[in-house]
Formats: sequence, structure tokens, C-alpha cells
Amino acid sequence: MAQLLARTADRLYWGARYIERAEDTARIVRAYNDLVVDYPSQEMLRWEPLAALTGSDPSITVPPHDLSGETTVVRYLLADRANPSSIVSTVAMARENLRTTREVMPREAWQAVNQLTHYVDATAAGAVERQLRDRFLVRIVEVSRRLDGILESTMTRSNEFRMLRLGRLVERADMTTRVLGVAAAAILELEGANREELVTDQVRWMSVLRSVSALQMYQRAVRGPIDGLAVVTFLLSYSAFPRSVQGCLDDIRTVLDGLPSPQAVLAELDRTEGVVRAAHPDVTEGVDLDRAMETTQAAIARLDVAIRDRYVASAL
Amino acid sequence: MDELIDESGLPQPVAAALMQLIDRIGEAELRSRQRIAELDILTMGITFTVYSDGQNIDRAWPFDIIPRVIDGSEWDEIAAGLSQRLRAINMFIDDLYNDQRIIADGVFPADLLAASVNYRPQLRGIHPKHGVWAHISGTDLVRDDDGKMYVLEDNLRVPSGVSYVIENRGVAKRAFAELFERQRIRAVDGYTDELNRLLTSLAPNGVADPQLAVLTPGIFNSAYFEHSFLAERMGAELVEGADLVVDSDDCVYMKTIDGHERVDVIYRRIDDLFLDPEVFLPESMLGVPGLIRAWKAGNVGLANAPGAGVADDKVVYAWVPDIIRYYLSEEPLIANVPTYRTMYDDERRFVIDNIGDLVIKPANESGGYGILIGNRATRDELDQAVAAIEADPRNWVAQPILALSTVPTLVDGGIEPRHVDLRPFVLTSDRSYVTPGGLTRVALRKDSLIVNSSQGGGSKDTWIIDGMYEAGPV
Repeated sequence: MAQLLARTADRLYWGARYIERAEDTARIVRAYNDLVVDYPSQEMLRWEPLAALTGSDPSITVPPHDLSGETTVVRYLLADRANPSSIVSTVAMARENLRTTREVMPREAWQAVNQLTHYVDATAAGAVERQLRDRFLVRIVEVSRRLDGILESTMTRSNEFRMLRLGRLVERADMTTRVLGVAAAAILELEGANREELVTDQVRWMSVLRSVSALQMYQRAVRGPIDGLAVVTFLLSYSAFPRSVQGCLDDIRTVLDGLPSPQAVLAELDRTEGVVRAAHPDVTEGVDLDRAMETTQAAIARLDVAIRDRYVASAL
Repeated sequence: MDELIDESGLPQPVAAALMQLIDRIGEAELRSRQRIAELDILTMGITFTVYSDGQNIDRAWPFDIIPRVIDGSEWDEIAAGLSQRLRAINMFIDDLYNDQRIIADGVFPADLLAASVNYRPQLRGIHPKHGVWAHISGTDLVRDDDGKMYVLEDNLRVPSGVSYVIENRGVAKRAFAELFERQRIRAVDGYTDELNRLLTSLAPNGVADPQLAVLTPGIFNSAYFEHSFLAERMGAELVEGADLVVDSDDCVYMKTIDGHERVDVIYRRIDDLFLDPEVFLPESMLGVPGLIRAWKAGNVGLANAPGAGVADDKVVYAWVPDIIRYYLSEEPLIANVPTYRTMYDDERRFVIDNIGDLVIKPANESGGYGILIGNRATRDELDQAVAAIEADPRNWVAQPILALSTVPTLVDGGIEPRHVDLRPFVLTSDRSYVTPGGLTRVALRKDSLIVNSSQGGGSKDTWIIDGMYEAGPV
């Protein structure tokens, strides 16, 4: 079998990253939605912290009539084509990348990508409404999972497969830190508002866990009531959980071991792990948690650069 | 004439089963099958790219559910004619790049070759494997009112459409499962295997298990879908020019994540002028510097061979019947459309005098661009055409306006006849292969003769049916 073209490697990696970003965004919005629905609208759990998902300074302006920011933020995350991290944008980017790698992917996988694109194009705008939102988000997660299932069960364990895995894992690690970033933004928001907490600490951290489908696994692993520090530690370091940052890094290591000459990337991975191990944020301080997550994201970004330097740029 | 229905409004014998089924299920059910077919096309990601408003848009492939059917015995004659035509054309090309016997013998005018924009003098003296230059061709056929099929043009450079032949069949099989069950409709799936075999046969000597690659200009090319489809079906690499490099050993390598890896055969879908900036257009960003060097050294196979386009020119076209007689000593099995060559004074005078009754074609455009249909043009357009012909007579030909045959087509108003052409694909190496049928393109606008998908044309599946259908309950 032929070796993987460097350009194809790049497209597979990014295609997988974008799909994972769409899936994870869907999971996170869904969990937040779930949290909000528990509270009557007049109590106004605000939505702006969720926009922090796409970075610390999202470019949104909530008009006064959008009292909780819900419509604005949900549209921004789901249906806004100007937001490169919205679900419509990431799905479109995934397709653009994977369209150029059809010859190396199972046909069924390409069809799943197409279905996802057409579904998102037709539905995203309508899914800003609460009524349709959950079904939309569930569908995104399902198609993304199905795509992984197709690859898992029908794709040769080749370097093509490994690049797709790598994209998934790097993005997943990054998104888990972003979920914690959203938690930090929410804490900051409450501090800023200086008002009675509407949502108890425990409920809020439950929601954080739900965003990465970790609630049940957390409860099985950690005894006692849910508390912030344990949640952050679980999501950063509990390597047995596949969506924890350390779990993703472990899987990245396994994938790299199968790729040709990964030494430089492995060295960067060691440094990434060092950063994750050193992160001990004070979870009651929004600023501190936020800073810790930004540091972790920067470490993951350096890992991403190392991967691209090795498998794309070096061949060009 | 209509391909499926005779003058009295009854189904042609070969279309009996199809028309009976359409009659029985009715228009509403047909429409619902059409919708399902369109959904299939979206899901399968069957697209083509159009360039408009400065943007390239990946559009769903237009498909009409009602197929065109052709009787197997008629098709066998057409296929034999196509194989014959391509054998002769390839001998012609090889001759032009080597001995030029046909010119010495006075059959083909030397000044025509001198004026050809598609002749590549840099390639003189090359004699590719099997003596074949145009390995893959997509010959356009039309049926006139007299019921005969004519060759309209030979596409010898980078003809596209074969992927849609195969994909259309996949969709049609689901749409008309009951007909496939009852009739022998020739399968079209074998094409990519045949292409694979052909490309493999072009490998450098001594390479047993060659690495094949499809070279694409990239995602913005209108046929990108097809490039990717063919690579996928053949297990070949899909590469862009920047993925390849020719080393000092004159071999072609692709840039992989584990260093450079040898490429043995390239099915290039880039126009030859862009193929190698060392030899052709120096500013080309699409090609691979040194590719021609590697090819000349016998270190890589190229299909189609660069320079093959010399025979794909609407003026050279007029000589193809003579070319067949000259090299094969056979009469052409498929006719050319009568073609007036405006480079000759008498023929030019005839064309200018009768311009309103002719189709005027530029020698070297594709995609239906630049074509003027005399009886549909304004006085101004006709005057401009005359001026253009007089300014550059070598660059034009004229043909009578053919009454392209029609096929019933599902349009907004119901089922109506629409004009079609047919593009079969011919593979030529040490043997010939012709796709059973080919790509039927249909002009979706009423009375239009423009079938190109870039200009609002659609497509149909083409069925070559063996054995007569006996009418009975479906």
C-alpha cells in the first residue's frame, strides 16, 4: 500500500477536527440547554458564558429584547456562518476537507459526511428555536458517532486512519478544556452580577460534566457529592475517561506510535502532559480557572503545530 | 425523432417495457421516484463544480429519471465504429509526432499541422507504448432525423463524464429496480477496472505492481468529483501538481508523510499546456516541473499522452474519415457530420452564403462555448461570425444544423421530449474497450440543443438492452 500523501494527511486531520468540533459544540449546547430549561425564564440564567466556547472574546452583541441572550448565543453557535466555529461552519469545513480525501475513506463515511452537511444546511437556522433545538443537536452527535463507527469498523488501520484519529483526539482534548472555560466564564458572570446564585454549585458542575457526557462515569469514579475541584481534576487528569484531556493525550500517544518517525511530536506531547499535570486551578475563582484553561489550550495548540510540522510541512 | 417513441406515438420496441411501466405507475409516482433519485444524489455526494460570480460552487448532479435505451445489436455496431475510429486516430497522432507519412502522402495538409495550436513540437520523436496517445476518449454522438448516429466530436484531451455514467446507473437501478429484474441491461461498472488495466499497462518496463495516480488541477476544477471518483474506484492516489516532484534521477515521486515515494503511471486530468512548466507554459502552477523529462525517459506512464489533442480539433475532425481509410484501409463504420472547412475558399464561400442554415464552431473550444447556431442567431451575431471566419479561417468549421433526437423527460409541465446527445468513453491500448452506452446529456430547456451541464443541461442513464422484450404484465 502506498504511503499517505502529506496533503491528504492534512485534510484528513482537519476534516476530523471539524467534525469533532461540531459534535462537541452540539454536546455542550445541549447540556447548557438542559440546565436552562430547569429554570423558569424570568430567573434568567444567562447564555453569554456559553459563547466563551469559541474563545475568550466572542464577537456577539445581545440586543435588549433577547433578555437572557439565548437566541443570540444559540444562533452564534449553531447557525452563524460568520462564526468559523459554529456548527454550520465546522460541518461545511469538514466536508470541504474530506471532499478531497474520498479515495482514502470508506464510501459510507463520505455519505455520512454528506448527510450531515445537508441536514445541517437545511435545519440549523430552525434549530435556534427551543422546540427543534434538542433534536438537531442529538442528530449532530449521532451522525458524528456513526461516522466514527463506520471508520472504526470498516477502515484499514492505515496512516489515513491514524490521521483521522489524531484530528479527533486533538480537537476533543481542546474542547474539554473549553467546557471548563465556559464554567469559568459562568463563575465570572455570577461574580460580576453580584447576585444570589440561582443555580447551585452542584447543579452547575453537573451540567459541565454532562457537556462531555461524563456525568455517569464521573459518579462511578468519584464518590460523594459533586464538587468543582473533583470535576476539574476528573476532566483534566482522569485518563481512564476517554474525553478527559489526559485520556485524549494517552490515545494520541498510541496513535503517534503507529505513524512514521513521530519523535519530535512525542517530545512535544511530553511537554503538553507536563502542562496538564501542573494545572491546579482554584475552581472557585473564575479568573484562575480561565487562566489555567488558556494555558492548557496553548499547550494543545503547540502539539497541533508539532503534528503539522512533522506530517505536512516537512514533506512540502 | 424520439429515441423511445415512434411517429405514431407508440413505444419503440426496445423501450416497450420502460414505457409500459411509466404508463402504469403514472406521473405522480414517477415524480416521487425522481425526488428519491435526487436525494440519493445528494447523499452520495454526486456533484459537479460550476464557476459563477467569482465562486466555485459544488452543485448536485442534474439527473432525469427516464433513461435513454438503445438496442444491443445497434450498440455493437456503434462500439465497433468507435474502436475503429480511435485506433486510426491514434495511428494518426503517432505518425504526426514521428514520420508524418500522412502528410508526405498528401492526405493531410502540412499547413494545417503547422497552424495547429494543439500540436506539441517539443514531443517529436516520441513513440509511447502501444503507439497510443489518446488512451481515453469521450466521443460525442448525436442521432439525426434520418435515424443514424453521427460522431459530433472527438474529445481526446481530458474528457470527463464517465463517473456520472457509473453513478447514474447506481441511481437508476434503485429507481427502476423492477426493470433491471426483467431485462438484460448491460452493466457499466466494469469501466474503472478496464481503466486500471490500461493504466497498469503503461507502467515503466520492469515495474510489476505500479503505483497509479490521478493528477487533478484541484478542487476548483469542474470535474474534481470525477477525478476523486476514479482515484477511489481504482485504488489510485489522487494527487495535485504540488504533491509530485521529479528528482534528478528523472523519476516522479509523491510527497508522503514518510518521504518521497515513486509514482509509475499518471492519469493526468490537467491540460497538457499546464502539465510541465519546464516544457510548456512556464507560469503554470498546476503542473510538475520535469514531468515530460521523466516521461521521455520512460520512467513514468502518462495518459492521455501530452500532445494527443492535436487530433481533437474541430478542423482536424473533418479529416477523420480519410484518416481511417488511410491507416486502416477500412471504410468508417460511424459517419462524421458533414463539415465545411472555412480554410478552403470554396467551402468558406458556401458557409458565408448559407450561414443562417449552419452551425458555426470554433476549432478549439470545449463545453459548448463559442458555438453559433445559424437559424437561432440574430443578424448581428451572424455578421460577427462572418467577420471572425474571414479574420481567421483556420479556426472555424461549419456543419448543417442537425435535428438532435429527443427522449421523453420529466419536466415541470409533465413528460416532454428533450434533445439529447451521447458521450461513450473509449479506452485504447493494445486493445479497445467501449463503455456500454455512455453519458446521455439532455437539454432541459424546451427546444434547446445545449446539453452541457455547465449551461443548464441534465443527464440520463443510458441502457443498452439485449434481447427483445416481450410485452406482458409488468
